[in-house]
Amino acid sequence: MSAVPASAEDLAGRLAGIVGARHVIADAAELSTYECDGLTGVRVRPGLVVLPASTEEVAEVMRAAAAAGVPIVARGAGTGLSGGALPVAGGIVLSLSRMRRILEVDLENGLVRVEPGVINLDVSRAIAEQGYYYAPDPSSQSICTIGGNVAENSGGAHCLKYGFTVNHVRGARVVLSDGSVVDLGGPVLDAPGYDLLGVLVGSEGLLGIVTEVVLRVLRKPAATRTFFATFPSTDEAGEAVSAIIASGIVPAAIEMMDRLAILAAKAATGVDWPDVGAALLMDVDGPLAEVEHTSENAIDLARRAGALEIRRPRDEDERALMWKGRKSAFAAVGRISPNYFVQDGVIPRSEIARVLREIETMAARVGLRVANVFHAGDGNLHPLVLYDRKVPGQELAAEELGGEILRLCVRYGGSITGEHGVGADKAAYMPDMFSGDDLDTMGLVRCAFDPSGLLNPGKVFPTPRLCGDRPGPFRPHAAEAAGRAWRE
Amino acid sequence: MSLWAARAAAESDAVLGARPAVVYEPSTVEEASLAVAESAREGGGQSLVFVGGATELELGAPPSRLDAILRTGRLDRVLEHAPSDQIVVAEAGVTLAALAAVLAAHGQRLALDPPSPERATVGGVVASNAFGPLRARYGSVRDLIIGISIIRADGRMAHGGGKVVKNVAGFDLPKLMVGSLGTLGLIATATFRLHPLPEDGVTLLSARRGAAEIGRLVARMRESQLEPAAVIAFGLPDGRFDLAVRFEGFGRGVLEQRDRFTALASAEEGVSCEALDAAAARDLWARHDGARRAGSLRAKVAMRPARSAETSAAALAPLLASLENPAGVLYPTLGLGFASGDVRDPDAAAAAVGAARSRLAAEGGSLVLHAAPETLRSRVDVWGEPPPAIGLLRSVKSRLDPARRLAPGRFVGGI
Repeated sequence: MSAVPASAEDLAGRLAGIVGARHVIADAAELSTYECDGLTGVRVRPGLVVLPASTEEVAEVMRAAAAAGVPIVARGAGTGLSGGALPVAGGIVLSLSRMRRILEVDLENGLVRVEPGVINLDVSRAIAEQGYYYAPDPSSQSICTIGGNVAENSGGAHCLKYGFTVNHVRGARVVLSDGSVVDLGGPVLDAPGYDLLGVLVGSEGLLGIVTEVVLRVLRKPAATRTFFATFPSTDEAGEAVSAIIASGIVPAAIEMMDRLAILAAKAATGVDWPDVGAALLMDVDGPLAEVEHTSENAIDLARRAGALEIRRPRDEDERALMWKGRKSAFAAVGRISPNYFVQDGVIPRSEIARVLREIETMAARVGLRVANVFHAGDGNLHPLVLYDRKVPGQELAAEELGGEILRLCVRYGGSITGEHGVGADKAAYMPDMFSGDDLDTMGLVRCAFDPSGLLNPGKVFPTPRLCGDRPGPFRPHAAEAAGRAWRE
Repeated sequence: MSLWAARAAAESDAVLGARPAVVYEPSTVEEASLAVAESAREGGGQSLVFVGGATELELGAPPSRLDAILRTGRLDRVLEHAPSDQIVVAEAGVTLAALAAVLAAHGQRLALDPPSPERATVGGVVASNAFGPLRARYGSVRDLIIGISIIRADGRMAHGGGKVVKNVAGFDLPKLMVGSLGTLGLIATATFRLHPLPEDGVTLLSARRGAAEIGRLVARMRESQLEPAAVIAFGLPDGRFDLAVRFEGFGRGVLEQRDRFTALASAEEGVSCEALDAAAARDLWARHDGARRAGSLRAKVAMRPARSAETSAAALAPLLASLENPAGVLYPTLGLGFASGDVRDPDAAAAAVGAARSRLAAEGGSLVLHAAPETLRSRVDVWGEPPPAIGLLRSVKSRLDPARRLAPGRFVGGI
């Protein structure tokens, strides 16, 4: 790396030479737009924002940043909830929003190739007419981008059956921190070599900048059956979830909402839901006979677990409204509380009822309320800690309660994040889940990809590892020099 | 020499002709960690190959150095099975058959079905990315593994992932280890997501279909929204295929899919499709496993799924013609296949491997020799040309195993 960082003006000039002056933002007022992502409580002003339009431009920007020793934070739509796209003070934010073309649709091989700025839902829209779709469906799917999904390994309600982003990404073109470009994976399965694509997905912008993605897309299932079931409390709802899974049914999604979340969703979307202790929203999909059988069975099991009422949508519009109620529940909580923190943790699904009770007790102890709306099928909790910033001390108490909830998840054998990522928000909690050697090993992987440490520094790792020189005996061999082999 | 569980090596401990001096046979993960740490100190650092059930030991090049092997056979405990959470944690040496027995008692399975489950071990299946017909529906190791513990070259233990299916904390070390063939560390334990055992299942056979028909049938199956658990096509000597499809699930659903597939497959004149009884179905899946194990040469080919029957037939015709007892099995929904046989003329086989590689590379595909006699290994690289990202692969290797002690020379590009 260059020992002498270029002045901001020099760097801005170089970047303007690469992407055009119109696509470099250095104005303070404009820069403030990029101060945070979906984690709005933490803000850092970047030095520059650059908007390249191609892989080549991204690579050149990367080389310029590397030469100047300036960190780069890649950014998609900025919907992330863990501060993964939080800028580094004085650093570069590289926005991929101009790279939003769908490059290739190859349905007979089940593939779509896109640029990273393409919006998640637009992939499904582009192939809907032919009866195909892209399965990962984060709640923000109408605004979040594929590049961001790849960085965060985004999930969604339907990953219970269909898996996460990583299960649907076949290949990626990646710009590394030295400005070189590599293709990982591709349209054909099982390319010889390590599964570096599998490591890249979910690496939160620390390993490389993705400039093209090959996605796996699926034929729509023949049938989908949805039902909404209400329960006296989360205990019975949790029991229903366990019973349904234990029966051998693999639902496409099972979502749970507690009383507060139901009230919030009602207030925001006008869904006609009763005032009850808990509700489940469930999808099963697949071939018709299979789906009819499993949905009837699941309804029966929900009743036996104590369901008060079962509602089945009469048509697609009603189904869409039910899902809209669920997907807007986060934002809806704003209707019942002036402020709230969104948390994201995972527990073994058999422990849902017990953990929710503990959370309730913990919240009551500090005089706060927690609304729960989450992916019950895979134990992915989203506790929403409600507070009022104007009440002295409440914000801090809410933040502390969020942290305690994460530690509770780890104690139950779960995870500090199921889909929102570690980012800036949870780096401090990594040692609760991973040992020093675990983090050191992940650090070695980071050093292999980015020895400079310029890509998204300050995220994921509580204390970053210094990479040092390239380790090990490195003796260039004639065959190696010719690029043919690497043997002793 | 070690104080625990080490012995002098015998002829039967050789790895592709390379004979080690020492064999470590730890019986706990802690012992394994001590053994790897000790091997780092012994004689300035021993080169070390990890051996499970040896079902894929022929995959990769012979080690360029071999001082010691570590057998995982005594790491044979299922550490945790949580049926209600549908996860299992197993030590590396647990065989797939032993694991299946534990899981079946609770109506569950790990949806990985490579051949030789009575020998194939958890660690070996992860390290070699082994798979079988169920991959069509459930994906491969990378889609099912959710956690791992590894012993690094320096003997330190590291974990990645966890015990819950949904988890994005930290880098995905489990996926890094999949297919890494013992070159990055010892897989000590692995955690998997499980699936319910299906209530019912049926295998259908449509015999003697042309290559183009296979592609059409697979496409029609997809368009008709059928969801098979497995789709395979056996290559026949005359260039035709026997197509076998399995549907699984609840009884009513299986019957519906059986009837709809039968109608699709019988739509063309002069063709047939039969639902096999239990014994015939068992025979058919045994035929699959047999084809995967046969021959002194076994080549795995990868290509785009659409028209993979035609592509593989064309690419592999010269190779199959050069072999005794040629056989082939294709996974047409995945674009993967295996060809096998016994090498008659190494020069002809080597030329045919090269020709097949050029043809497959044109569409981004590959051919890897999972087994080959020395006469062929000396003529072609079992992995083929190093991939474009080879520099990054080497960088990962040198960070995790800077002294290049773990399975040196076994992997892609001489890693």
